Amino acid sequence: MFGLPLETTLLVFGFPLFWVLYLIGFLVVSRGWDKDTTKEDDAS
Amino acid sequence: MSGTVILFLVLYYVVVLGIGYWALRRGAGKDLEGYLLGGRQVGPITTALTMQSTAMSGYMFLGAGGLGFAQGYWALWYAAGDIGGGLLNLSVIGRRMRKLSQMMGALTAIEYLEKRYPSPAIRLVAGTLTIFLLGFYVLAQLIAGGKGMALVTGISYPLALAIAVGIILIYTFMGGYLAVAYTDFFQSLVMLVGVMWIMIAALSELGGFTAANVAIGELDPTLLSVWGRGLGFEGQWGVVAGALLIFSVGYMGWPHVVTRHMAMSSPATARRAGFWATIWSLFFVPAPYLVGIFAILILPGLDDPEMAIFQVAEQLLPAAVTGLVMAAIMAAIMSTADSLLLQTGSIASRDIYERFINPRASERQMVMVSRGLVLAVALVGYAIALVEPPTVFSIVIFATSVLGSAFLPAYVCAVWWKKANTPGALASMIVGASVAFIWQYAGLVETTQMHPMLTGVMSSTITMIVVSLATQKISPVPRHVLDAMNVSAAVGPIPARYLDATEFGLANEAAAIANGLEEGGQNG
Repeated sequence: MFGLPLETTLLVFGFPLFWVLYLIGFLVVSRGWDKDTTKEDDAS
Repeated sequence: MSGTVILFLVLYYVVVLGIGYWALRRGAGKDLEGYLLGGRQVGPITTALTMQSTAMSGYMFLGAGGLGFAQGYWALWYAAGDIGGGLLNLSVIGRRMRKLSQMMGALTAIEYLEKRYPSPAIRLVAGTLTIFLLGFYVLAQLIAGGKGMALVTGISYPLALAIAVGIILIYTFMGGYLAVAYTDFFQSLVMLVGVMWIMIAALSELGGFTAANVAIGELDPTLLSVWGRGLGFEGQWGVVAGALLIFSVGYMGWPHVVTRHMAMSSPATARRAGFWATIWSLFFVPAPYLVGIFAILILPGLDDPEMAIFQVAEQLLPAAVTGLVMAAIMAAIMSTADSLLLQTGSIASRDIYERFINPRASERQMVMVSRGLVLAVALVGYAIALVEPPTVFSIVIFATSVLGSAFLPAYVCAVWWKKANTPGALASMIVGASVAFIWQYAGLVETTQMHPMLTGVMSSTITMIVVSLATQKISPVPRHVLDAMNVSAAVGPIPARYLDATEFGLANEAAAIANGLEEGGQNG
């Protein structure tokens, strides 16, 4: 694909895809973190 | 020398200095917390972009492009880890480190280590090691700035170097962390626009991504492989693992980067910052490596691979855009150099001068010491960069490998492992730094086919585990540290009684006295 061998295609596009999936997982797992924020933090 | 290029550069410097001045007016330098951590009021987008632009140094425009030019698609192993470096850092230690550092009243990443692993030896070893390595890292940025500016503008290398150093010094002095963070924000956007512009111009010149790859394959098919030119790295998984680790998990061991967690406006900032850091990295990180690879076709007779991106910009872009790209390159260099200088100065004033030389130093004296050291490091760096500049790639790989190896287990275990104690952290830092250093300079990379980052991190991690477990009885983690770790792990605001940092300092001293009495009793 794109004139590249398969393993190079995986290197170029696979890792970014992995990090996007990691990001989605992180956003799901951390959705309660806003409870850490105090009123003082909001003010700043 | 093109007048348009100079106009863009001058405009860029004016904006950067303007931001520094604005940070000063906001009161960033009014006290030590304001100067060193921007008063812990930095929001998610600025946190993400200052973290990313600090981590992405002049290396991205010289070392990364040079590696792509020399080794083809093998270079993308470094980018593959780098894309997620900021996200990993923020998701693994960001939130907890922000809370723990506030409870401890720690203002620098080294002071944080001493309060988590109570011992002056931790601060002395970590502080000295960091000042030395960050000094080296600054050197790489100065060389990158001088070489790049001299090439594009046509002015002499010493003068170009002096201009870059002068501008960095002025705005680092003006506003401290806040000036650095907000100029980083602006510079990260300039970097993104600049590198995307060069990449689009290169792709347009070569007829698109697929056509460029086909042409490279016709020239040398091994350049398209994941094993480098002539398959030189074939089967060397130890080197590949190190390339993946150095700019991904490695970031968690860089004091000048983890300081960003401590300056966040709230622990929850880490979540949104993780999102912005990933978006920015997805676009920015692969581009310099790819431009370096495309330069194989655009500049077949290039002498110095580290000049690949500069030369591509000069050859393909009109003068106005070259000015913008040059500003982007200077942005990458300066956004890292300012953070490195500020951290070096902070560590020297807070962790060495106040802690070991003058415990009664006033905040004004400490800011003066910090600025004095910033000036000294910049001048020494300038002198070395002028006399005998080594390659940017070699310095960055050396400094970042040793930093990551020395501090990664200490920072990660500080928030995640309750058995990580002082002897474990101290031994881990010394062993990790020594192994990475020796691996690099004894030529063990070639003979063992293992990257210094991989061996360094493995040895520091094993040391942390083994020594901590072996010394639990003689050096237990103090109760107040365990309590603070529990609070940092729980989701919710920090209880008011934990916000008195003085209490934490006294608790460390009390624990040390209690240990002394206990040992005295056993001896008696």
